[in-house]
Amino acid sequence: MDPIDRLEERFADQVLDVREHAGQRFAHVKRDRIVELLRFLRDECGFDALADLTAVDYLNQGMPERFCVVYALYSFRHNSRTRLKAFVPEGDPEIESAAPLWKAALWAEREVFDMYGIRFRKHPDLRRILLPDDYEGHPLRKDYPLTGRGERMDFPRYVP
Amino acid sequence: MGLETLLPEGILTTTVEKAVNWGRKNSLWPMPFGTACCAIELMGTLASRYDLSRFGSEVIRFSPRQADLMIVSGRISLKMMPVLLKIWEQMPEPKWCISMGACASCGGIFDNYAMIQGIDRFIPVDVYVPGCPPRPESVIDAIMEIQKKIDREKLKKRA
Repeated sequence: MDPIDRLEERFADQVLDVREHAGQRFAHVKRDRIVELLRFLRDECGFDALADLTAVDYLNQGMPERFCVVYALYSFRHNSRTRLKAFVPEGDPEIESAAPLWKAALWAEREVFDMYGIRFRKHPDLRRILLPDDYEGHPLRKDYPLTGRGERMDFPRYVP
Repeated sequence: MGLETLLPEGILTTTVEKAVNWGRKNSLWPMPFGTACCAIELMGTLASRYDLSRFGSEVIRFSPRQADLMIVSGRISLKMMPVLLKIWEQMPEPKWCISMGACASCGGIFDNYAMIQGIDRFIPVDVYVPGCPPRPESVIDAIMEIQKKIDREKLKKRA
């Protein structure tokens, strides 16, 4: 049976929507038991590899919540891919970390935190990864200006 | 005719200024500050076909203390800028800087929150090399411009 269908059958209350795009089926889910859902896909459906972990900011686009954490999974055994999209509200941007399941999630979640400000509970080392540690703001949010807020001009000029 | 006709063969006269400048320009030891794609093109310039060591840049040691020419090749991000400043400060005088490529000169195509829009906002640049990436011949031209610049230098004060 299709793994997304099995997921929907097993966790019916967590799955918001099942869609298909370009031949790939994926599911919109709630964020409450995301680790259980991922563990089910990893252990029982054979999706042993986390290909990517990223996020989307759906500001004002009619989605259930503002942010959405996307887990792209790949199965070596069946050579198939799928995605789980977990919606995270703006007021409480927190979700549980997938680090206990895959080591690959460690840095990917740091990047999502750095760029969107979504915190991952139980992440062993959640800090900025691409920007300087003392940077303020989360640049990939849709309401952040492209050219920044002046940090790139904020260095001392060399005096010989 | 001149003084040199009275001297035995193999001796020529010059000024201290010219001699010092000649020595400096023909032994420019680069500090390759390569961060991105321009660094690959710099490697191509340093390799055998476009051989930069013809111009005296025989010693490419990645130590600022032993270099006098910093070639910034590649884009400089927010996190990298303090490092660049520190390396520049660690280089002893006299020193020159080549800003290689579009990103180091003006930010290139990356006009965003994380990229420095030209290193000349913070350190003094002597020669800019346009290109993305510049061809090795352009880099060699930049080295030659630095050499011409050194030729014009006075011994008195190095601002």
